[in-house]
Amino acid sequence: MVDVKKRWRAWLRAIHRDFGYLAIGFTLIYAISGIAQNHIEDWGDVSFKTTERTLAIATIPDTTPEIVAVKTVADAAGLGTPTGHTRAGDEIRLDYANLSKVTAIVAPAGTAVTIQTRSRRPFIGLANWLHTARHKKAWKYISDTYAVLLLYLALSGIFMIKGTLGLKWRGTILISTGIAVPVLYVALAGGPNSQHDAVAGTETALHSVPVDLGPPKVAPSPAPSPRSPAPSSAPSSDPSPDPSPAKVQGAGSAVLVPLPPDDDN
Amino acid sequence: MADTPDLDRYPELAQRWSRRNFIKSAVAGTALIGFGGALVRLAADDLTRAARAENRGDGRPRLPPGQRVLEFLRPMGGDAGTGKTETFRLRVHGACKKPFEVDYANLLKLPQVEKVADVHCVTGWSMLGGIWKGVQLSKLAELAEVEDTARFVILEAAHGYTANIPIKEAMADNALVTYRLDGKPFSIDHGAPVRGLVPDLYFWKSSKWLTGVRFVKHDEPGFWETRGYNNHADPWKEERYG
Repeated sequence: MVDVKKRWRAWLRAIHRDFGYLAIGFTLIYAISGIAQNHIEDWGDVSFKTTERTLAIATIPDTTPEIVAVKTVADAAGLGTPTGHTRAGDEIRLDYANLSKVTAIVAPAGTAVTIQTRSRRPFIGLANWLHTARHKKAWKYISDTYAVLLLYLALSGIFMIKGTLGLKWRGTILISTGIAVPVLYVALAGGPNSQHDAVAGTETALHSVPVDLGPPKVAPSPAPSPRSPAPSSAPSSDPSPDPSPAKVQGAGSAVLVPLPPDDDN
Repeated sequence: MADTPDLDRYPELAQRWSRRNFIKSAVAGTALIGFGGALVRLAADDLTRAARAENRGDGRPRLPPGQRVLEFLRPMGGDAGTGKTETFRLRVHGACKKPFEVDYANLLKLPQVEKVADVHCVTGWSMLGGIWKGVQLSKLAELAEVEDTARFVILEAAHGYTANIPIKEAMADNALVTYRLDGKPFSIDHGAPVRGLVPDLYFWKSSKWLTGVRFVKHDEPGFWETRGYNNHADPWKEERYG
């Protein structure tokens, strides 16, 4: 009987030891990123290193050809050749392969060029990415396995040592302390309900909101063109809007592309 | 170190002594970090104190309870979008007669507004007096001819993130789709190129990396609302958690 008892404790320890080794890498990832997540209100998201600087260049007149305007801004930014660009309103935006962004805001007095760079920090960036597991996929199950390892480590630890260093004295005291800390915290802090306010009356009908949405407004038919042959100006019982880009009254000169109605809204 | 035992002579004490030293060091280190954090908070208290003395036009205090003021937006993470304006499309759809999609260049051709607004993060920081530029959500509702039966607006973002907003708050004068703060574009961390802005609710409702505005008849709790955060999120009622 004594041998059997010795044997199960030895197995418990051996598995505890090996699971402990397996858990080291996971624990470093989860513990360090856990501290980072816990302090996100103090430190922000430390996953990325970001920089931003703004410089001033001469104004770029509206009449400047797009290719010239883009080159002017790219040269000022000095990040090389952009992978894409958009000229919209008073902005010229450049995208780069390495997540850097350049935005030029053009005003008559000059152009403000804002250069923003972003790069993932080597360890903490990946640890946070793994910890939050927003990407799900296989990592969800790998981290579930780690959680099971932790459960084994916690539960097997209770029975690893016998005598006064085990459950007879020290073990019981420390286990009780470990359980008492969260229990006392919840009791003293009032638990999650202490900050809970019943939300009532948050549903408000659109017609009770003091916002004038106005009657349906449709612009007169613009001149036909290959891209915008006809706006949806004619009243129609057809539930499918015309999929062609359309100018709509109240939208300024913006072109809105009609979408088919959602299946269930 | 006069009270250090002779560990060569009493090797059985070595383990216990090193453990004691470790615990002492750990406690001292923790206290130091905590003290440093407290100093940082105290330094920022002037802004917070000043904000607490102010009231909004609607009679509520300018700073909701449990908030402290920062001078800038703090990046709070999330699954970022591409940040590219070239491929940006905003879908305005759902319970409306004329759903539509608009690209970045045409979004900037819609009637633009600049609003001064305070924002309040559920983690406890607030940024006051930002000048936000963009298009009012109510304008998008007008263009899409939203049906009277719509009760909520779902702000849709990259990677399936959503946040639900009661139509009353979404149609407020200061609720925007916004692409510029204080005259500067958002960095990717803050939702570039376009994010939502619903300043009278906790800031997670102001979805970053916006891709869509959907009007719905029935509530659809979003990413954080289904993970224990409050469905409504009024900072003045401290509606932080569900």
